[in-house]
Amino acid sequence: MNNTFNITRFGLLLKRQWLEFGKIYLISLLVALGVIIAFYGIALWDVLALHETFQHSDLTFREPLFLIFGFLFITVIASTYFAHLGQKPKAIIELMIPASTFEKFIAGIFFTGILSTVCYLFLFYITDLVFISKLQSIVKNVSAEETKQLDYLHKYVDVMPSFAYVVPLFFTSIFLLGSIYFNKFHYIKTAVAAMIFTGIWTYIVVKTGELLMEGRIPVEQHKLNWSEQTAFNLITLLLLVLTFIFWAITYVRLKEKEV
Amino acid sequence: MEFRDNKAIYLQIAEFVCEHILLGKWKADEKVPSVREMAVELEVNPNTVMRTYELLQQKNIITNKRGIGFFVSDEAIENVKAYRKTQFMEEDLPVVFRNVYLLNIGFDELESRYNNFVKQTFNA
Amino acid sequence: MIKINNLNFGYSKGQLLFKNLSMQLQNGHIYGLLGKNGAGKSTLLKNMAGLVYAESGTLDVLGHHPAKREPELLAQICFIPEEFYLPSVKIDAFVKANAAFYPNFDHPYFTALLAEFDIPVKQKLINMSYGQKKKVIIAFGLATQAKLVIMDEPTNGLDIPSKAQFRKIMASALTEDRCIIISTHQVRDLDNLIDTVIMLDENSVALKASVDEITDKLCFKRVKEIDETVIYAEQSLAGYNAVMPNYHQEDSKLDMELLFNAVLAEKNKLKPIFN
Repeated sequence: MNNTFNITRFGLLLKRQWLEFGKIYLISLLVALGVIIAFYGIALWDVLALHETFQHSDLTFREPLFLIFGFLFITVIASTYFAHLGQKPKAIIELMIPASTFEKFIAGIFFTGILSTVCYLFLFYITDLVFISKLQSIVKNVSAEETKQLDYLHKYVDVMPSFAYVVPLFFTSIFLLGSIYFNKFHYIKTAVAAMIFTGIWTYIVVKTGELLMEGRIPVEQHKLNWSEQTAFNLITLLLLVLTFIFWAITYVRLKEKEV
Repeated sequence: MEFRDNKAIYLQIAEFVCEHILLGKWKADEKVPSVREMAVELEVNPNTVMRTYELLQQKNIITNKRGIGFFVSDEAIENVKAYRKTQFMEEDLPVVFRNVYLLNIGFDELESRYNNFVKQTFNA
Repeated sequence: MIKINNLNFGYSKGQLLFKNLSMQLQNGHIYGLLGKNGAGKSTLLKNMAGLVYAESGTLDVLGHHPAKREPELLAQICFIPEEFYLPSVKIDAFVKANAAFYPNFDHPYFTALLAEFDIPVKQKLINMSYGQKKKVIIAFGLATQAKLVIMDEPTNGLDIPSKAQFRKIMASALTEDRCIIISTHQVRDLDNLIDTVIMLDENSVALKASVDEITDKLCFKRVKEIDETVIYAEQSLAGYNAVMPNYHQEDSKLDMELLFNAVLAEKNKLKPIFN
């Protein structure tokens, strides 16, 4: 028997975790769906129900909703995943499951980093699709050409910077780490810790910049000839590296968890 | 079965088995409960029952037929009686003797009381 | 089955709970782990299960190092903690989710155990009483056919009939290739079930001996007066309950509570007897 990773055992573990948390997972998805629908309903009420004229500005709520609520949703899910390890009785059961630490860790990434993001995108997309198609069937003052462009993902998928794909992994990795690092109030503590860290880092970077540059005059103008793409790639790389670091720490914490 | 405080459990189980044999509940050549069954019934460690069965084997009260289990020996009843007799002589009698000596009880009195007791209890 | 060598363990630096603790446990026995509150009974059990990590020393369980938490070993351990958690599902769902991890899980045996314990199978686990839940996890743990069965205060929370059922089940659960370790305060619940006593005191194993060995060397009896042969005695209605060396090869019944107190009170007199 391979004691690090075995695909059948991993499958069993995913199934077990689903049977254990699946209900809560589905409930949170339902809540998320409700919230999204509520926002759409309120914003488009005038057009859909009262048949008022449609303006493009009616849809501007979507970006902040998608970003803010999406952030909240995936980070909340991530910050609960290992949270129960803070409670002795639950932690004992979890640690005694005959699966390797690595499998338990990968299952964590699957549920927090991947599944929650995919579910969220799916929910958002479906809701958007339904509302927009309704809109398209009612609204007469916008041309058919234009309404085709209205649906959310269609609008952004082309212009989205490449690092956007990594962002959910990055955020969930922080909160997953928080869920195993703290024993209580995981979400708040993680958020505060993340803010403090970011603050300290920004301060250090700015200060060192100032110190290095203080009293110096640029002799030659070095211009960085980076294209937007290179910059995006660098950001992607940076986020990925940070994500992997957070995951690595999470893995070590899980491995060293004692009850 | 209720265990008493003063005697090793494995010996109390031995008494329990002997009692069953003397009362004819388990007859010669019949299978006795397995170690596990007995342990479950009496709520004791199987190793303790094993020790009992080893003792009873030594005394030729039960025999081990390999692979099948333990059976009551042909001469079980005589052997139980012999075993009980030694036990009585070694353990119980000294206590009685001590009292007989301390309380100055005469053998004639003992004898008549003994005869009375047998008459009343066993109608012999 | 289990080899512990010079184990040092402490929850905080500089304060050791175990100092150079060593012992070996074999299959085919039910070990009773005794000790005062805080002597480290649960901690020792957790060390064996790999739930906590020792500072130094070696621990070998079925040829594995438990701290690695390898699935192969975990599938051979049935760990019943004192405080436990069960999800709010029905028993079927619980079994469906967890049984597959144990290659030898015995479903008919599990059903039989539940029946023996009088568990309402259709009820949700969350609506069960503490005692019922405990019986469910004991049944599940035994049905995994794990080689190492570790139970921390298993009779806590069981009612009187359940305790008898528990003893019957444990008597039948002991097989040649199984090692059962039970920690307990309620020695009266289990004293006929335990065949080897392990007593923890003062950071180490104060006594580890089979019941046969103990009653071979010591005699437990009621005496009218205490003389110099008595190692330890407690007053009772009819004189004293005394522990003394077994000079006359008497077959007395081990009084585990008396032994426990004797070990705590007269360690120095008992040590030479058992070495």
